[in-house]
Amino acid sequence: MTNLHQDNQNNLVSFLRHNQPLPPDVSPQLEQQLFNSLKSHPKQRKLRFKAAWTVPGAIATGFLFTSVSFGFKTPRLALEPKDLENFLVKNWHNTLGSHGYTAIEETDADWLLPNTTESQPRLAVSVQ
Amino acid sequence: MGKILACLQASAVDAELETGEATDRELIVLCQQGDRDCFRLLYQRYQQRVRSTLYQLCGSASLDDLVQDVFLKAWKGLPKLKNAKYFSTWLYRISWNVATDRRRKLAKGKNLAIGDKIWEKELNEPKLTSTESTPDLMQLHYQDLVQRGLNNLSFEHRAVLVLHDLEDLPQKQVAEILNIPVGTVKSRLFHARNSIKKFLEQQGISL
Repeated sequence: MTNLHQDNQNNLVSFLRHNQPLPPDVSPQLEQQLFNSLKSHPKQRKLRFKAAWTVPGAIATGFLFTSVSFGFKTPRLALEPKDLENFLVKNWHNTLGSHGYTAIEETDADWLLPNTTESQPRLAVSVQ
Repeated sequence: MGKILACLQASAVDAELETGEATDRELIVLCQQGDRDCFRLLYQRYQQRVRSTLYQLCGSASLDDLVQDVFLKAWKGLPKLKNAKYFSTWLYRISWNVATDRRRKLAKGKNLAIGDKIWEKELNEPKLTSTESTPDLMQLHYQDLVQRGLNNLSFEHRAVLVLHDLEDLPQKQVAEILNIPVGTVKSRLFHARNSIKKFLEQQGISL
């Protein structure tokens, strides 16, 4: 009985498949029309993906640029007293201006002090 | 036993490569990167199935527009397709959605009567290209009956019958396309087949 029912079903499906109505022939221009219209539909996901990173990236770049231009630097930690001493001497000398020096050494602290045109007495600094 | 299973699996993979399923995946990956030429190949591969399905569900009115609509949506939505192996199911789902939207627009009352009349008119007009042999006429007659039988079904029952029996998709895939349980697919298929069989028998076709 089950086989008979299955056979009937198979016969029906076979009849439907064999006699299914066929769609009208496709127009030869349809494919080209579709692909012409694709040009006006670019994929959006990649753009959105890029845009999502553009803003934070711009902010990060701006922050970095600002930090560098203002001479932002994290304070250095002297590992040894001698390193600290050298650091102080170097930066102390540089705060007195460029007079008396043949070469100007730019330091991170240059931007803190105004440039002077008058010569100033050199201060003697002794470091112990 | 283990060796036999391994051999069977290896031959299945080889068969997969030979049938072009792997090629579909490669095309899809390239399409997702924006390759329109690969999308053209996919279109050529699938357009007949999409066209046939839409025709069975909606008739020939605006068929070209519906097919275009499906592939436009596919192009735009491809980046969201996570697994290329579901492309076929996904494309059928888009076709189903387009067909459903079309039916809803027609059902709003403006064009429903006109749409159905156009469809019936096309069915009733003989499309003979030659008058040479009786089997051609018989096949036209049978095609006419099958189309009328489909037309008598509800849209939901028709969709299941078209996808499973005419497009030869497994029940599980039909369930995924229509977003219904497999049990519902089975139930609708049972009722759809009974209904169309009854109609055919009333028209003098015994199966």
